[in-house]
Amino acid sequence: MSSSHTDSSSPAVEMDPVEYTLRKRLPRKLPKRRNDVYVNMKTDFRAQLARCQKLLEGGGHREICVHGLGLAINRAINIALQLQASSQGALQLAANTSTVELVDDLEPEDPDEAGEPMTRTRNNSAIHIKVFYPDPQ
Amino acid sequence: MFTGCGVVSGQNQYLNRDAVRPHPGLEASRPIQMGNGVTPGTCPVYQGQIYSNAGQSAVVNNVSSPLKTAPLPVPLSALKLGQEGFKKVCRTEEDSPCPFPGLASGVLEMRVKEGSKIRNLMGFAMARMQGEKGVSGGGLSDGGLRQVVFTGSGRAVTKTITCAEIMKRKVGCLHQLTKLRYKVVKEVWESTEGGNSEMTVHRTVPSISILLSKDPLDPQEPGYQPPETLSALWEEREGAEPASHTTCKRPLGPLPHSSFPNCKRVCLGEGVSVLPPH
Repeated sequence: MSSSHTDSSSPAVEMDPVEYTLRKRLPRKLPKRRNDVYVNMKTDFRAQLARCQKLLEGGGHREICVHGLGLAINRAINIALQLQASSQGALQLAANTSTVELVDDLEPEDPDEAGEPMTRTRNNSAIHIKVFYPDPQ
Repeated sequence: MFTGCGVVSGQNQYLNRDAVRPHPGLEASRPIQMGNGVTPGTCPVYQGQIYSNAGQSAVVNNVSSPLKTAPLPVPLSALKLGQEGFKKVCRTEEDSPCPFPGLASGVLEMRVKEGSKIRNLMGFAMARMQGEKGVSGGGLSDGGLRQVVFTGSGRAVTKTITCAEIMKRKVGCLHQLTKLRYKVVKEVWESTEGGNSEMTVHRTVPSISILLSKDPLDPQEPGYQPPETLSALWEEREGAEPASHTTCKRPLGPLPHSSFPNCKRVCLGEGVSVLPPH
């Protein structure tokens, strides 16, 4: 990701304390809960959808949580709505939103130059959708 | 489990005889990666899928004048339509009922579109919310609205969420209620080559509605998010207590442990209880 031609902005390569810990956080949640699904734009949509389906039906989880960041928000919403549609209304959705900080590291293109590497922080939106079977009452 | 048909099963038009299919299989949306130079903004859009529970009227795609023969490779995406020499004439949203039950009528509704400028949206909304508090608190007058709803669909969803987050940050202690649903959008495409051919496309797109309110909302409602009174410093928590069983009962409530003052770095919101709730 670090091209040496232009100002290289690589997210979280340096040991920036904010970013380092931040980046550690997101993936760390993943193994913690089996029913967390993080959606991205690289994996095929159907595959992600199938994974969610499998968790709900086969895995015996009563609820799963679908997360999406930035552009993947749309996909996460789509997955959640599709899950709900295919369940014939048995599933319910609960969506929460949040802001995630992303840090870009800018390195000076010319190594001889005196510029120091800068970091730029930006915010991104994220969505967390809980897909669950409501408790029978 | 689901029909795993990437392409919408070659059904050429949504001249769907079977209007409401009980949807045993999922017709996954076609990832609109149409091969060439895909606009990054395209999100998987459901082309005229009909959902049994959605109570939508039969989504039928009318081809008013068949341009080509019937088995037309359905130009489902904007890209393809553009390539076929079509130009979008107009796009109307079909109005669906407001998803928030019992909402006061004097609520400001901000419709976020794809091309909206956040600066403009926030300027307007903030002025309304931060105006002088109405005497009765009903917020009917110009100043001091208590509630505001942001709605957006299709590509504007991310922007909608961003607007809501910005407002939450500027105006603290807002209760949030988020609703997701599908919206049917009707587009009319016309041929650029002349020939008076036009096509009406019904597209089902995901849409989001976010209600922000100064007044407390029902916490039992799915999609409720309490105001973040103390911002969670994730790294602190994660670093100090990796076991994480001590931390947050995060589900819905201010963090018991965060003793940090409002830090500028608002990381992740409380959101859904990411840690096992019980």
